[in-house]
Amino acid sequence: MTSRTITIEPVTRIEGHARITLQLDDAGKVGQARFHLTQFRGFEKFCEGRPYREMPALTARTCGICPVSHLLASNKACDYLLRVSIPPTAEKLRRVMNLAQLTQSHALSFFHLSSPDLLLGWDSNPVKRNIFGVMAEAPQLARDGIRLRQIGQTIIETLGGKKIHPTWVVPGGVNEALTEDKRQAMLALLPEGLEIAKRTYAFFKTLVPKFADEARHFGTLPTLFLSLVSPRGNLEHYDGFLRIKDAQGRIVEDMIPPHEYQRVIGEAVEDFSYMKFPYYKPRGYPQGIYRVGPLARLNNAEACGTPYADVALAEFRMLQEAAPVQSSFHYHYARLVEIIFALESMERLLKDPDILNPRVRSRARSNRYEGIGVAEAPRGTLMHHYKIDDDGLITWVNLIIATGHNNLAMNQGIKQVADAYVEGNNLQEGMLNRVEAVIRCFDPCLSCASHAFGQMPLHIELRDAAGRLVDTLRRG
Amino acid sequence: MTPLPEPGRRALIIGYGSPIRGDDAIGPLAADRLADEGVPEGVTVLSRHVLTAELVEDIAAADLIVFIDAVAEGPPGEIRIRPLQPDASALSTMAHFLDPRELLAWAETLYCHRPRAWLASVAGATFDYGLYELSPAVADALRPLITQVRGLACP
Repeated sequence: MTSRTITIEPVTRIEGHARITLQLDDAGKVGQARFHLTQFRGFEKFCEGRPYREMPALTARTCGICPVSHLLASNKACDYLLRVSIPPTAEKLRRVMNLAQLTQSHALSFFHLSSPDLLLGWDSNPVKRNIFGVMAEAPQLARDGIRLRQIGQTIIETLGGKKIHPTWVVPGGVNEALTEDKRQAMLALLPEGLEIAKRTYAFFKTLVPKFADEARHFGTLPTLFLSLVSPRGNLEHYDGFLRIKDAQGRIVEDMIPPHEYQRVIGEAVEDFSYMKFPYYKPRGYPQGIYRVGPLARLNNAEACGTPYADVALAEFRMLQEAAPVQSSFHYHYARLVEIIFALESMERLLKDPDILNPRVRSRARSNRYEGIGVAEAPRGTLMHHYKIDDDGLITWVNLIIATGHNNLAMNQGIKQVADAYVEGNNLQEGMLNRVEAVIRCFDPCLSCASHAFGQMPLHIELRDAAGRLVDTLRRG
Repeated sequence: MTPLPEPGRRALIIGYGSPIRGDDAIGPLAADRLADEGVPEGVTVLSRHVLTAELVEDIAAADLIVFIDAVAEGPPGEIRIRPLQPDASALSTMAHFLDPRELLAWAETLYCHRPRAWLASVAGATFDYGLYELSPAVADALRPLITQVRGLACP
């Protein structure tokens, strides 16, 4: 059999560096599709020996895009080591910061990374299929994206003192109570943010019917869905319990305390990627494929619990006749619903009189040898798990990053979209852009510290097993 | 005593770079020092690790901008001041390093605003990971850099 491989490297408009390979058969059909994370970083190993109190600052440095998520999951793991319940006000303040992070991160994904495809089309001229193309086509949308991101970042900076790597969240709570001035400054931003979010959501709803074909083929998979839910089963981003639903909408695991995650989640490795392959243990690997992130959270939630987001959630469920929404293309839709929820929730939290309570930190020394912290990052469920010795030094770390949970689904997603669109004997740029675009639906954050997007130079050669050039594709 | 600003003139100084990569810290260090020492009314100073998309709104609200950055080219400690023009083709390949010319192009395209802009750069000697100090040549350049930036933004 003649073996041919298409390599897409780097994958553009995602957070981090990755490669996609498509193995073709004699007929030019895709036999195997793989998503490769090509960077090795080893954070879990080099945290060993450090004092556990350094872990929030250390692990936040794993990511310049969602440091707040790591900061929260890490501090929650430290709270668990201390064996403290943090003051209720501290929890509310942490929630505000997490929701601000979600707002700015989702805004970046939708407005800057994915809107060139959504507005201009997958087959449009790649030279113009970028943020400047969006500005020309829909300048208000581009301005809205900038503003929404600025609102999220400003709230993070108001709470944490700086936008990137804030140190305001500490084990036991937060290190400074909120002042009335800051509260009013943040509240003043939210009505405009909500108007932008509602406007964008209304606009995107009009686009969705145009993407019926993509919705059928962009990672439309009968997987499980994993997320946190509140004790009432509602949308939850900071705390709560783990829930797993199957493709038919049946709850297969529910109200699992986060520190029992290892009971349901196993981790596999493959030799073609530095990213782990988590799976649902009872079904084994790889049958235990599941998805996390906005799509999973909305599929798992009974309700959002805020007025506009609940209306949007009801409309989200109408994207499919029954059961959970299966298409990974609808991650975009779910992201917009979550932005609405985040803005409504922040307003509710900040208007709570207790938000100004000066008691925001519980103090203790370590009272456990093992700590687990779980929170919902923009891209999905983020898990930090530490073990320490008598001196409080880290002896073992396990991090399950939100993007990692989706690894199996991303690999199956590119196979599905390649099957539907890629003609191996007649490569077109738009075909390969669709393969990249299915990855963008998941908004993966790969190496965290480096982010490839825009029109990077890309040169693809298709050769047969004898090395003969069959086809080429060049851009940039 | 700080000089009075020109009436109605809004200046923005953005120093950017990583504080833990040796001489790359010169941008935020200079910005922090400027803010500590005081700037006239109408002058805003921002210290950032990186240039990010939301800065476009700040840029669109300014009449004059000075970006402060470290560069790898040139003899260590060399200060260069050069004007910047909007450039839509300067699309960054790394989201954590948006090119200032790209941000200027965003501001021009979206807000029809084209502020005068300068890049004040200092050639670095070392950009190693986990390095919290400036090299001697770059440390010596900090004060003259601040003086030159002040001359541009706070005349």
